[in-house]
Amino acid sequence: MTDTARDLSRTLLLSGNEAIARGAWEAGVRFGSGYPGTPSSEILPALKELGDAYVEWSVNEKVALEAAAGASIAGARALVTMKHVGLNVAADPLFTLSYTGVAGGLVIISADDPSMHSSQNEQDNRNYARAARVPMLEPADSQEAREMTMRAFELSEQFDVPVIVRPVTRICHSDGLVEVGERRQVELRAELEPNARKYVMIPAWARERRVVMAERTLELIALAEETDLNREEIGDTSLGIIASGVAWQHAREAFPDASFLKLGLAWPLPPERIRRFAAQVERLFVVEELDPFLTAQILAMGVAVEPVDGRFRLGELTPGRVRAMITGEPVPRVAADEDLPPRPPTLCAGCPHRSVFSALREIKAYVTGDIGCYTLGTLPPLQALHTCLCMGAGVSQAHGMQKVRGHEAPVVAVIGDSTFTHSGITALVNIAYNAGVSTVVILDNRTTAMTGGQVHPGVGETLSGMPGRALDFEALARAVGIDDVRVVDPYDLAATEQALREAMASPEPSVVIARRECALMVPDYGPAPVLDEELCIRCGKCIRIGCPALSAFDDGGKRPIPRIDAALCTGCTMCAQVCPVNALKLPADAEGRGDA
Amino acid sequence: MVTNVLLTGVGGQGIITASTVLSQACRIAGWQVKKSEVHGMSQRGGSVNSYVRFSADAPVASPLIPEGAAGIMLAFEPLEGLRQIGECAPDARVLVEERRIVPVTVNLPEFSYPDDVLERLQASGRRVTVVPAMATAVDLGEPRAANTVMLGALATLLALPDAAWHEALHGVLKPTAVAINLQAFAVGREMMVGA
Repeated sequence: MTDTARDLSRTLLLSGNEAIARGAWEAGVRFGSGYPGTPSSEILPALKELGDAYVEWSVNEKVALEAAAGASIAGARALVTMKHVGLNVAADPLFTLSYTGVAGGLVIISADDPSMHSSQNEQDNRNYARAARVPMLEPADSQEAREMTMRAFELSEQFDVPVIVRPVTRICHSDGLVEVGERRQVELRAELEPNARKYVMIPAWARERRVVMAERTLELIALAEETDLNREEIGDTSLGIIASGVAWQHAREAFPDASFLKLGLAWPLPPERIRRFAAQVERLFVVEELDPFLTAQILAMGVAVEPVDGRFRLGELTPGRVRAMITGEPVPRVAADEDLPPRPPTLCAGCPHRSVFSALREIKAYVTGDIGCYTLGTLPPLQALHTCLCMGAGVSQAHGMQKVRGHEAPVVAVIGDSTFTHSGITALVNIAYNAGVSTVVILDNRTTAMTGGQVHPGVGETLSGMPGRALDFEALARAVGIDDVRVVDPYDLAATEQALREAMASPEPSVVIARRECALMVPDYGPAPVLDEELCIRCGKCIRIGCPALSAFDDGGKRPIPRIDAALCTGCTMCAQVCPVNALKLPADAEGRGDA
Repeated sequence: MVTNVLLTGVGGQGIITASTVLSQACRIAGWQVKKSEVHGMSQRGGSVNSYVRFSADAPVASPLIPEGAAGIMLAFEPLEGLRQIGECAPDARVLVEERRIVPVTVNLPEFSYPDDVLERLQASGRRVTVVPAMATAVDLGEPRAANTVMLGALATLLALPDAAWHEALHGVLKPTAVAINLQAFAVGREMMVGA
């Protein structure tokens, strides 16, 4: 397509996530569910903006996929979105959905995060496609993200199978030009008539479906052999590259003249096309991010591909890394001066998690945690979070630790409010049921903060805008058998520390709910404290709470003196509360504070 | 030919917004464009990089700027500019905001904010122009328009028509913010004349 042929009014600049939502919307999707997770979080809000479809943040990915499966059996096209590790949570329904198949098209977005920009691991979810025997499409830019999402719905219905679309961070969070169309009205595909032999996987019927699945895989391979989702781009035949998704973009950036077999369908592969392509080129490479997923299958076909150094299996590819992978040249190294202070993400100024970690550090607790902004509590200077495995794990880990160490061990679990509803509740039931003793702190900041502030059951608001029933954490904790339930305001540091100490000292299991809105959701609480330099003893306690609005300034004194950036300060007063000599004065102390 | 612009700075400085305005201006001009950045943890006060690649005539393949190939860098903070200088081509143009944002890590004993960041940028051989974007925006009465001052300065290096920039600012920003940002854009542009 030439630029002049481009119809500007129909050409939008969309992120990969927006393009996926657009594709689903145009394909007539009626139901969208998911759980927020970088880099997938923007898809459902974008679908909500487009309208027409019901959308929800489900409590976790397993529930999201099951709900979407229900919508599909009821005949609707359904979309479900999650990050790569979310598919681990949803793996149980996924594997058997491959047996039951679908009615309305069911498309699963698994947004992978090579290089772990915002993740705890960099697993390659292409393996799920092969393991669960469900087709997988890999878009290479926003335009393909739209088109492949639409095609995925068609394939899902044509082959009676859920289809996974796997974008990666560099697709989800990259913007590109997308030619868009209108929404197609798609009627419900099935009557709601029981079809138990298809949807009840008792062993006898599952064995039947197992055969259907095997036949379907052969049909999908036949599709892969002829589909335009895969395409040959024959250029200079001295170098042939098989690639898919964003890796193909990096490869053609590095080798614009090479010949390519560009795979849109990452599973299953087309053996005949691969053999034909291999026969056309002198040297053959597979360029893929993370696991040798294509490579292993292509080698198993008896096609010789040249080996790639194992270091290219770690982290994202880039044009320079692809060039080095093939030519053997050194990887271009863009090194910054070594003395530059790093700038890692930090808890925001005014973050209510800060005081909880400050108190836990004071108590010298061993803190089991998991995924959220609060994971940042592990970094200096707070260094008050000591495990992060997966969502919900901290609650279970604290229980296991105290079963072998006793209740005297100063172990505390922390978990965010959204994360608690995602996968902390069952772990809390486990503590109560198994006569556990652990203290669980729910860091209730009234939002899903790390992923951009999505609503969740504890808040009661819903993505669709319909009023939801708010989950009552206190009542829930009591209902599962926790008698010692406390609610504290983390902006009251002394009360927070006292509640934590009492809860930990008790031989009973306990829940401490530290409740205060995320600092990004509220306007400033008040003016910044003012330092009385006469009183300040330069002890550094305020600096050690790790607030980005506070810095240690070397004024030539024997130790640095704190400086407050009034533009960043939210007036949370945490620094004033830790000051042992009351040198940080609140202007409002004299003038009377507002509604803080 | 593909032009590679790297925008770098600190989470919260409006870098993503600025790169969106630039990308939309390219779309409006009928150019090819791709932009890439990482959301999530980087929003929490960490370093932020956004890559914008565009061309009036050629397709853009990778969403990432090839290593060492940024032709223009817009550094919204000096330290972050220095951190990314290796991503810039030897003859790159560098526009750098002079105002420092001190990272919390300098509160740890092992780090300090170097005194000679701008000097090191100059010594890198790239053509460096200091843009007092924040000071200018403060003078205009809207510190949040500092990123648009930088875009105004950038506009002098690109062949995008003013109309495309203006339409992009209208499309991306909140209606109430458009007027002051158009002003900030014009001031940023003037600043580069003779720079």
